[in-house]
Amino acid sequence: MDAALRLGAADEAIAVLRETTPFGDASEALLARIAGIARRARYAAGARIYSADDAADDIFVVLSGRAEHVFKPEVGAREALRRVTRGGVFGWAGLLLGQTQRLATVTAIEPTEVLRIDTEALVGLLESEPLEGGHVMERFASMIQREFTLPALLAQVRRLSGPLTEEMSSLSLTLYRLSLWLRSPRPYLMLVGFALFLGFWYLAVEVWKLPRFREMPGLTNVVREWLSPSPTYGLSLYIAEYYQHIAMSVWRVAQGFFLATVLGVPVGLLLGWSRSFKEYVFPVFETLRPIPILAWVPLAIVMFIATESAVVYLAFLASFFATALNTMLGVESIDESYVRAANCLGADRWQVFRHVIIPGALPFIFTGLQISIGVSWFSLVAAEMVSGQYGLGYVIWTSYVMVRYPTIVIGMVTLGIVGYVTSALVRIAGDYLMEWRVRELALAER
Amino acid sequence: MKKMLSNPALWRGVVSIAVFLVLWEIGARSKQWMAPEFFAPFKEFLGAMGFKKDYLPWIGAVPAPSAVLDSWTAVFVDASYWQSWYMSFFRVMSGFIAAMLIGIPFGLSLAMSRVAHGIGFPVFEVLRPIPPLAWVPASIIFWPTQETAIAFITFLGAFYTIVINVLGGARSIDVRYFQAARSMGSSRWDIFRRVILPGTLPSIVVGSAVGMGITWEVVVAAEMISGGGSQIGGTRGGGLGFFIWLSYVGGSYEQIVVGMISIGIAGFVSSELLRWGGRYATPWLKAR
Repeated sequence: MDAALRLGAADEAIAVLRETTPFGDASEALLARIAGIARRARYAAGARIYSADDAADDIFVVLSGRAEHVFKPEVGAREALRRVTRGGVFGWAGLLLGQTQRLATVTAIEPTEVLRIDTEALVGLLESEPLEGGHVMERFASMIQREFTLPALLAQVRRLSGPLTEEMSSLSLTLYRLSLWLRSPRPYLMLVGFALFLGFWYLAVEVWKLPRFREMPGLTNVVREWLSPSPTYGLSLYIAEYYQHIAMSVWRVAQGFFLATVLGVPVGLLLGWSRSFKEYVFPVFETLRPIPILAWVPLAIVMFIATESAVVYLAFLASFFATALNTMLGVESIDESYVRAANCLGADRWQVFRHVIIPGALPFIFTGLQISIGVSWFSLVAAEMVSGQYGLGYVIWTSYVMVRYPTIVIGMVTLGIVGYVTSALVRIAGDYLMEWRVRELALAER
Repeated sequence: MKKMLSNPALWRGVVSIAVFLVLWEIGARSKQWMAPEFFAPFKEFLGAMGFKKDYLPWIGAVPAPSAVLDSWTAVFVDASYWQSWYMSFFRVMSGFIAAMLIGIPFGLSLAMSRVAHGIGFPVFEVLRPIPPLAWVPASIIFWPTQETAIAFITFLGAFYTIVINVLGGARSIDVRYFQAARSMGSSRWDIFRRVILPGTLPSIVVGSAVGMGITWEVVVAAEMISGGGSQIGGTRGGGLGFFIWLSYVGGSYEQIVVGMISIGIAGFVSSELLRWGGRYATPWLKAR
């Protein structure tokens, strides 16, 4: 009986906490924990709850009744008097930076019931949930400024210590961002966008059968084919051959990309670093570069007897130019005073190269690598379409020739996904390396 | 002029290209003066690597620059060669202009309206990783003529780049410009006309120049893959990509290189023209 009553009281406490400004959008779990440290108290009409300059120990949340909150004159609030009713929060002075005493006098003007929450216990609780806790503190700050009209200078809340920035687990950060994202209109607009796109595709091809659209593979056809264990045209998620094609394309791009990085980065570094090397090599480079990679296809087939190496060569060539050019621009973007500073401190040429040129060019190199993986897919598809066996470009082209239209779309979508994943991998690798570099720079400049 | 001629960088450039051409010539002619016996010791190795066993790998298969020049002079007076130039230019321009006409307003509307961005951008981002050339078969099925199919592919090639650049350019405009304009009572149209448009113009120029490069890449491949309207007959009307492909099929390898160089020139010239026009459209950038 007693336990049930306490449970009911906890529910009531959570309900009122949800009506307050600072805890209004906190999670159920956090509210339950706050309710767990709250105590109930009753005040008769006319009773003084606390006076200005008392020790600021508890925070009060009004359950019922009405209290009068009067700031002491030195505070400088725009409105000194404020009546607080259910859902109102006062007694927050202990949360302010450097504040240990009450700023106001509060008197109950009706029989009033409140929740009392110990300030330090609350702060400790919020620190154990750094993401949500920080959010609650922000809402306290804005409530103090807006509702209690305190000047901004005074209304600075304490900073939560503890694992807020340093060891915040990336998972909780991701989840928090996800919940923020879900509360914004973006995911719903995105759904509308996809619904419009897919809906138009479905209606135009399969329902309305508009002219020209009629011949295209329809949405349901493609999806059914893709997910079917025994596809009509021989290619779906359940067929081993599908993965062989993907693996083949990825393997070709990987070879081309690897070669282009291994050759392109050093060439780009030399182009940017040595003036005479640039003057000798760059003209040839610039003569060859405007020739579209895809115009190389027949010549590549002639040069490389095996079509396999011809395809890899084309993927390589496209990435090579992008990588080398960006690396060169990266070296040229380095502030010359760094080189001079290193020289002044007695660095030899190799040390300048190792400690100034390479790290300085790194951001551009990674931009180049991202571009290069994109163009490498771009030219791979064309190369596979024209020549070669296996690979996603080959799938798309043969499906066209053999009139397996849904498979064309499966090939295109797969290509998009695989291409996106590979460039995301390059980006993540770059961010990871850059993070290290940014930290090093920050430490060095401190 | 005199100053230019005494610039060592120029001479180094000339030397480098000359050396490149000479090496190419020697490499390409190697199979004529290098006795097959020369390759005897490497026969096993070359064969294992997948090369022909009696001339230098790679370079040995490429036609020599002198032969290319010969073939070029022969082709120079051929009307069908110039017809190919015209066809490719026409396709590039139609695709490119369509990409500008659709891409710039689309990018601007994504930048101007949060709702348009929320609805349009995710779909755009999902379609973007699909290489334009993967659209070739779908495009041939969809469009009634080969000509429109190729123009559509070239359109796609430039479209993504232009939209991304317009969006990025509009995003990078200093927010204080908007605040200043608004506090002086500008309407939405004024802000668009006086802040957003001039603010994005440089990135429109950059995006178009990059897009132009991609357009040439794409048109070549689209012509090769789709056969470039070969039904019109012979090399006539096929475009430069088809010119290359036909030379390959016909075994006249010199002409492949002629075609490659022609496309290089065409792409370079059109990108430079665009950059020049861009500098003309954004004169304030030069002052900085």
